Amino acid sequence: MAEPVPVDAAAELVEAEAPLPCVIRQTYRLPSLARTAVPGQFVQIEVQEQGPFPMTRRPLTVSDVDPSAGTFTVVFEEVGGGTRALGRCGRGESRRVLGPLGRGYQTLPGDWLLIGGGMGAAGFPLLSRRVDVRRTLLGARDADHLLEAGCPNVSCATEDGSRGSCGLVTALCEGVDWEEYDHVALCGPLAMMEAVARLIPPGRLDRVQVSTESRMACGWGVCEGCAIPAVDGYLKCCTDGPVIAADRIDWNAWRETLP
Amino acid sequence: MRRVDSLRCSLWGRTFGSPVMLASGTAGFGLELHRMGCLEGVAAVVSKGTTLRPRAGNPPPRVWETRMGLLNSIGLANPGVHHIVREVLPEADSLPCPVIVNVSGDTEEEFAEVVSLLEGSPVPFGYEVNVSCPNVARGGMSFGADPLVVERVSALVRSASSRPFSVKLTPNAGDMAETAMAACAGGADAITVCNTFLGMKVDWRTGRPAMRRGVAGYTSPALLPLVVASVHAVSEAVGVPVLASGGVSRAEDLLELMAAGAEMVQVGSLVLRRPCAAGELLRDAGELLR
Repeated sequence: MAEPVPVDAAAELVEAEAPLPCVIRQTYRLPSLARTAVPGQFVQIEVQEQGPFPMTRRPLTVSDVDPSAGTFTVVFEEVGGGTRALGRCGRGESRRVLGPLGRGYQTLPGDWLLIGGGMGAAGFPLLSRRVDVRRTLLGARDADHLLEAGCPNVSCATEDGSRGSCGLVTALCEGVDWEEYDHVALCGPLAMMEAVARLIPPGRLDRVQVSTESRMACGWGVCEGCAIPAVDGYLKCCTDGPVIAADRIDWNAWRETLP
Repeated sequence: MRRVDSLRCSLWGRTFGSPVMLASGTAGFGLELHRMGCLEGVAAVVSKGTTLRPRAGNPPPRVWETRMGLLNSIGLANPGVHHIVREVLPEADSLPCPVIVNVSGDTEEEFAEVVSLLEGSPVPFGYEVNVSCPNVARGGMSFGADPLVVERVSALVRSASSRPFSVKLTPNAGDMAETAMAACAGGADAITVCNTFLGMKVDWRTGRPAMRRGVAGYTSPALLPLVVASVHAVSEAVGVPVLASGGVSRAEDLLELMAAGAEMVQVGSLVLRRPCAAGELLRDAGELLR
């Protein structure tokens, strides 16, 4: 089947809530996207039509879809001016949405383990509908940044101990028998993903699908702004990814890009 | 300066119903936009910068949004001219608009070498010579700062090319009108005004720049008056068409740049947010002129 061509259309915000103090969940009506988006793909939402800020859209993972209602959901933390402005968008307002964009997870049969850090778990609800998830390991700063909804069989850790065990998600990963799972989905902050990737036997890294993130401008493959260091040069987060096999990533080079 | 009452324009013997070109680096070779149905209203695509050898580009982060504009430090990432001639341009031949290939070089001679190789393809409508990239260590902006170098690069490209070409100037050094005259003395058939402005983002907490090279290219709608002034100065100084580039965010900006002396207008960062910006601008400009 040919990949669907991304469509840029006005989408009405039909539902907005704050499931956690700093986290926004928005549901937009866009039937074509609700029908075609696959887990791991993302949308580019235009924050506002005019004005110098922001000049680029905000790329957000498709968290879930409801094809019968023609809606899709995004979940994000207000981290800067762009996401704050997007978070102020009210029910009934419309925003331009471009998508679906990027290569999502390869939703293969077998037993899946999901590993998420903070907002990295935003895409897991849709993934959990399409694959057989046996276990989910989540880590976050604190309970206010832990996205558990839509994830099956969760074990979690928070840095302040406010939910689950006190510590990092890597501690939960240390007890994992990697042979038990056919596929692993990994998404979270770079430092967390790198620490998890180091715990996985190198021979299993080809079964780990990493949902990458980068500062991004276009989202559809032309500006080269969202480079992810790979073993054979740079990959574009937006069109080569965002989901990239862990053994294709140059983790050392990627880590060096941390501030 | 002139009063604008029509969107018709011409470049290098061809007439266009739209003055909108897509600026280099913001549209690839037009293939992705064509797939999305976004080339309506596009007179020509100016391609991603093409170099002799493949370039991986700069380490991330490569883009950084500031309060009123966008910094970029891509570093001319491209697969090299051989790949482009063999794989990309044949596909670009099916586009509904012509492609102007933007070329860069590490040395003065390399510009001509890249153009010679592009001459082997029937596809390019012309070239845009990038002596103004702020994001590379060699060539780029350091060439564009010196009118003598610009004249030499133009003359080398002139002797290698059977096609017309524009020279894209930097706003970051020298007198743009003087540099434009030097480009024309070397044989340029148009002048692109201008490349990005040198900018920088510094994290005061760490005392380090946000981007690896420190400096980056800055674009913003707030730059429009600066580009209008430069377009005016250059169009008064040279007899060839001026292609404006920078600061366009709405149809009025397009018309203002034409009034200031631009024959055609390139749209850049706006396309990253609005892939179909050209068609939208053209429609809005048409309404303004009615």
